[in-house]
Amino acid sequence: MREIFRHNPGRIFLIVLLLSLIGMLWVPRYFFEPRIFFGWLSAPYLAGLILILIWLIAYLIYFFRYWPYRD
Amino acid sequence: MLSIIVLGLFGIAVLWMAVYGYRISAKTAEDYMLAGRGIGLIVLFFLTLFGISSTWTFYAYPGFLYRHGPAFVYFIWGCVAGFVSLYMFFGPRLWAVAKLNHFLSPVEVLAQRYESKALRAILPLIILASMVPYISIESLGVGLGFKAFAGVHESVGIIYTTVLLICIILLGGMRVTAWTNIFLGIIYATTFLGSLLWVINRVFPDGLPQALQILSATNPELLSAPGPMVEGEPLFGYPIIVGVFITGLMAFSWPHIVMGTLTVRDKTIFKWFPLLGIVAGGICFYTIPFIWGSLVAPAISHMDGTLVPVVSGKAADNVVQVIITKYLPGWFSTFALMGVIAAALSTAAIQLMTSAILVSRDLIHGFFKPDATDRQLIIWTKLSVIGLLILSVGIALWNPVAMALYLTSIAVPGFAQWAPCLAGGIVWKRGTKQGAIAGVLVGTAMLVAAFIFHLPSFVIIGSFIVNALVYVIVSLLTPKPAEHIERMFFDEVEEFLEEKA
Repeated sequence: MREIFRHNPGRIFLIVLLLSLIGMLWVPRYFFEPRIFFGWLSAPYLAGLILILIWLIAYLIYFFRYWPYRD
Repeated sequence: MLSIIVLGLFGIAVLWMAVYGYRISAKTAEDYMLAGRGIGLIVLFFLTLFGISSTWTFYAYPGFLYRHGPAFVYFIWGCVAGFVSLYMFFGPRLWAVAKLNHFLSPVEVLAQRYESKALRAILPLIILASMVPYISIESLGVGLGFKAFAGVHESVGIIYTTVLLICIILLGGMRVTAWTNIFLGIIYATTFLGSLLWVINRVFPDGLPQALQILSATNPELLSAPGPMVEGEPLFGYPIIVGVFITGLMAFSWPHIVMGTLTVRDKTIFKWFPLLGIVAGGICFYTIPFIWGSLVAPAISHMDGTLVPVVSGKAADNVVQVIITKYLPGWFSTFALMGVIAAALSTAAIQLMTSAILVSRDLIHGFFKPDATDRQLIIWTKLSVIGLLILSVGIALWNPVAMALYLTSIAVPGFAQWAPCLAGGIVWKRGTKQGAIAGVLVGTAMLVAAFIFHLPSFVIIGSFIVNALVYVIVSLLTPKPAEHIERMFFDEVEEFLEEKA
């Protein structure tokens, strides 16, 4: 984590992850009426799925282009 | 009769793997406890995914969704982010410092990092107090499976699991635990997914939208927060949803998963592991119990002419198993039970290994026998396994609360108490012994008070936050760690990680 924090791509990576976590804490206020997506997805599940997809994209970009250690 | 033969063959297959692992192992403490630090990517994936995906995932999690609606999925999303964070942020440094200095347990790493004997005693005690009840739900889960399947007493399944666990761990240690997790994980995932698809196909010919229609018409509060009112349990309002998410994030400190980072062969595994964790674990595997518990099981219970009427309380823990038994052929129920046993064994084995290492390496070797040989260390670890198993079986037979609460109210908050000193010790040079001890003691005291006096759940979550604040404040107010500690835990680690893999 210290290595990640030392360069700009790493800092951007951490900020993206942090913002996505804050977003997860923000959205539950919209869970209190039945909303169903794509025929079966409930709102709490969809929110988490979006979180995981954001983490996946950020991880793929950072770890495979800017990973701070040598392969 | 067929069931007994299948379960017997399953037990023999597990036993054969344990014996084979024993024959090829190097008989050193490092080999027994950490698989010789030679675990590769795929084995690590199975070891950790099925180390965390236990009977809790098969029973308690769908059971909780079944009673409370979908918002509890937030705990799982927190867990996924927490586990992935461990391997992204803390794993490489923890692995490197343990490998460079031949540390055999993460508590040993922290005791050296903070130069504290007190921490070496306090941390294992807190972790063991949180871990043993968690181990007990594994054998309890199998007991419930046997009960739902054959109507026998829970103790039959508990004893069956205990015997297999003893064989796996006593013979093979961490290596066999990891290997058997591949076998067990495949059985578990196949059973869980197979049963879900088959039940949907049989009961809801129009697919999940049909299940959704039934719930919308009969019990719409099960489709959104806060879910239905459950007597004696809090309503899933905004604070609880946020609370379970934060509790899930603490998953990076689950000791048996942290232990996995010490077994890794080389640092490139930390580069690839999050991919498997996010895609195969987070998106694919954990969708299965969610659909089971939030849609399929409640829709079946609320539809006309159901074979599984609505159940409540602890009875909801095995609703998935009951549905499989009622709606699918008898032979598949045996297969499903095998999946439950696989789930229990895969988690309990690594939890027991981790707990026993803490007892032998940190408590016995650290305090009473510092000049112990490898052979003695291995023997103590094995004896610790037996002692811990007896303790966990006792709790399983007692079975005081609904299964979901063993994890969210006892195990995870307890594990979280070492999270600040673990994360701080690895990435923050300024973290001090006084800060670590003060944080752990204050946080644990809050947790114990909340448990004894039934304080509100925000006190449980608050215990971790207070622990972290005390750690930081006391660290800043006390003298910084010695230079040789900074060199050993930061400079040397960074040089090692910068080398070519």
